[in-house]
Amino acid sequence: MSDARLAQATPVARGPGGPATITRRLAPLALLAVAALLIPAGAAAQVTYQKLDNGLTVIVRENPVAPVVAVVLLVKMGTRWEQPATAGISNFVHAVMVKGTAKRGGSELAEAVAALGGKISATGEVDDSELRATALARFWRELLGLTAELALEPTLAPGEVATERDWLQSRIQKRRDNAPSRAFDEFFAALYGAHPYAIPVLGTAESLARVDHAQVVAAYRAGYRPERMILSVSGQVSAPEVLAEARRRFGGLARGGGGAEPAIPSPVSAGRRVEIEMPAQQAQILVGGLAPAMSHPDHAAVKVLSTILGGGMAGRLFAELRDKRGLAYAAASYYDPVREPGALVLYLGTAPENAARAEEALLREVERIRREPVDAEELSRAKGYLLGRYAMDRRTNERQAWYLAFYELQGQGRNFPERYRRAVEAVTPADVQRVARQVLGTVTTLVLRPK
Amino acid sequence: MIGIARSVSIALCALLLAGCATAGGSPSSSATAAGPAREVLPNGLVLVVHEHRASDVVALQLWVRTGGRDESPEELGLSHYLEHMLFKGTPTRPPGSIDTLIEGLGGASNAFTSYDYTHYDVVLPAEHLRAGIELLADIGVNAAFVPEELESEKTVVFEEMNLVEDDPEKFLGRRLGELAYAPHPYGRPILGTRELIQALTRERLAAYYRKHYVPRNMVLVVVGAVTPAEVRALAATTFGRLGGSAPARPALPPPPALDRSRRAEVPREEKQAYLGLAWRAPATSDGDIYAVDLLTYILGDSPSSRLNQTVRERLRLVSAIEAGYVSSEQGGIVRVTARLERANLEQTEAAILDVIRRVREEGVTEAERQRAIVTAESSYAFDIETAEGLAKSYGQAETTWTLEDELAYLARLRQITGAQIQAAARKYFGDDNYARVRFLPK
Repeated sequence: MSDARLAQATPVARGPGGPATITRRLAPLALLAVAALLIPAGAAAQVTYQKLDNGLTVIVRENPVAPVVAVVLLVKMGTRWEQPATAGISNFVHAVMVKGTAKRGGSELAEAVAALGGKISATGEVDDSELRATALARFWRELLGLTAELALEPTLAPGEVATERDWLQSRIQKRRDNAPSRAFDEFFAALYGAHPYAIPVLGTAESLARVDHAQVVAAYRAGYRPERMILSVSGQVSAPEVLAEARRRFGGLARGGGGAEPAIPSPVSAGRRVEIEMPAQQAQILVGGLAPAMSHPDHAAVKVLSTILGGGMAGRLFAELRDKRGLAYAAASYYDPVREPGALVLYLGTAPENAARAEEALLREVERIRREPVDAEELSRAKGYLLGRYAMDRRTNERQAWYLAFYELQGQGRNFPERYRRAVEAVTPADVQRVARQVLGTVTTLVLRPK
Repeated sequence: MIGIARSVSIALCALLLAGCATAGGSPSSSATAAGPAREVLPNGLVLVVHEHRASDVVALQLWVRTGGRDESPEELGLSHYLEHMLFKGTPTRPPGSIDTLIEGLGGASNAFTSYDYTHYDVVLPAEHLRAGIELLADIGVNAAFVPEELESEKTVVFEEMNLVEDDPEKFLGRRLGELAYAPHPYGRPILGTRELIQALTRERLAAYYRKHYVPRNMVLVVVGAVTPAEVRALAATTFGRLGGSAPARPALPPPPALDRSRRAEVPREEKQAYLGLAWRAPATSDGDIYAVDLLTYILGDSPSSRLNQTVRERLRLVSAIEAGYVSSEQGGIVRVTARLERANLEQTEAAILDVIRRVREEGVTEAERQRAIVTAESSYAFDIETAEGLAKSYGQAETTWTLEDELAYLARLRQITGAQIQAAARKYFGDDNYARVRFLPK
């Protein structure tokens, strides 16, 4: 249920051109976001939080705007808890979970979801795993019921483990065949070394070949404990009704203990340069460094830095390297909010004959941002863009449900969007220069060349 | 959201460049209670305004009835090239300043080219409505085409050509479109050819722009936290002042009938094979689109669809499979695409034909019909969450069918019977009348 559609009509004729859902996330909800409130995203929305007796957190956002509902269930399991030998197991568990429950087989599930005008997908991510569901609002109760069924009563049948393994292997192959995806995977491997963020969320062909049915079941049981789960609902619903239904569906799950946080050594910036070759038309150039976690006081400053360099079409990489010099087609930067040290990645996709000049120009931009303070107008453009995009991204119920659950899971506090907005607004040219020197002081480079 | 209503209006942009989101149906929520207001300005420009207060933003979209189908053989790629050049500047807006303006206001812009139309989109905080309308009116007729900018953009377009080839799914869509339409203009390269773009001069581009970018060819769609009165006043003093008469669109022959002669095999570097089949489907003006849309959904637009359940889940022949209706003004296609192992190609094609044959012979179930309609309703409901989603559906309706059809869409869909869906399967989907593209691992 979670493969991308073959014929997605999404290519953008004019954007920065980077992979829209880059980096490591599998979910269609991939975001470069972090927070702010420029536009009251659904001004009428009311948010209610409640922790059930078994430790599961429920969030409900009443939003009357459209007759739809979104349900997101986040669980503390993801690559952050994985080892190379179990790489991809969180996502594997979720691929199998949606194939059948104690009450329904795969095709009945698919029909039940479609009858609600709904969609359900499940993936393992970096710091969490996610069940995401949407439907027409009048079916909210049925949708919550299906979500509970998938989360709490999956069959996890041995036959499905084998089938989904084949399917995931095909997706891994597809990802290896795609130059930008391959380049990002190799870049994170080089940047993070022994840290689990080096692991692709899909896992590897080798790891998935070894993970067996018993391991899938064990990983599911370790993750799906109420203390590790956050349920978030947003849409044309009533909070008291949703809370009562959530208690009925999820309240009976026995406590299992929150489990220990993984002991993870800090990654070390090695400043490596990696070159790979594969059949492709376009060269890929990635330059970047380790960056602060989302809880770090410098998080907002690095978001601004990332936006100055590669945010939008007025960002330096797009404006200088593509618009002025035609050196690259895709030009963007990425800095996702994560629990452990993040990564600031500057990305170019270009014709092979331009690759050397493009890399040189990119490194000059890195040098320039370390050397020269950004001027007030450019800083203001970057902040406007950053906060504007964030506000735009939080307009739909699906995104709102996800953001509310994500901040809760990350322990960021319920006023995170407002704190973040203030932090972005307070960033000075000196802050940008300071974090540029830290984050881009020793860069890791990956170049993928067509062969 | 992927849904059925979206599939009918994916239009040709699915093949190449645009991101399409559209749905039909009668507005039903509090945020959209008023519905769109349409008027034609004295100079011929169509203005569509919808007050939509889901959030404090406004979506402004300029749709131009000019696309790949309007190009002569020497002009291939010019519609798309214009799309790249318009945000680059006008005599009063130097290169780079437009992006800085929009992004600094917390907004975003984009542009798309199709065979039937080209559109320019801006989303801004609603308080900047005036700036947005003035900008679109300016770039709509005053693009500067600075020579250095025009030259450097050539390498960007060349890169875009390369990029399509790198993505097997996009490239499959493109090859299938070429094969299913040639020699109709829908089967020509929308990016143009390397030779034509290399030789492109400012004079030729400017002449094409002046000829086609006239008020009679334009639709301005404004959706957001704004009132129709303020939009009308701003449109009158900007777009309302433009002049010029529209050229007649070239008369096109109907798209060709398909048969077994339309086959292409493409050696590729990927380790997996791809299969694409395309049947001729009705144009947007045809009353059959509703039945074909429901049929396409039932065949392959969800995990519960017949192709997914039979070919992927039961027979285990493919990793992914889906069906999509690529509609357009002059005639559409329904395509079935799959990712699979090379050894399964023959068996998969036979299985797809068998799934379709069963619909022809036995029809569809009432539960399937109901699910398809609920999905269409849902797709529309999710689209109205954002101003730009609604604006896109209106703009697309104005340029490829009519706004009235768009608004009546869901109601018409609900009236389609199982017998009509079966009749559509018999009319359009045969064992022989399709084009086929296969990507074969080297």
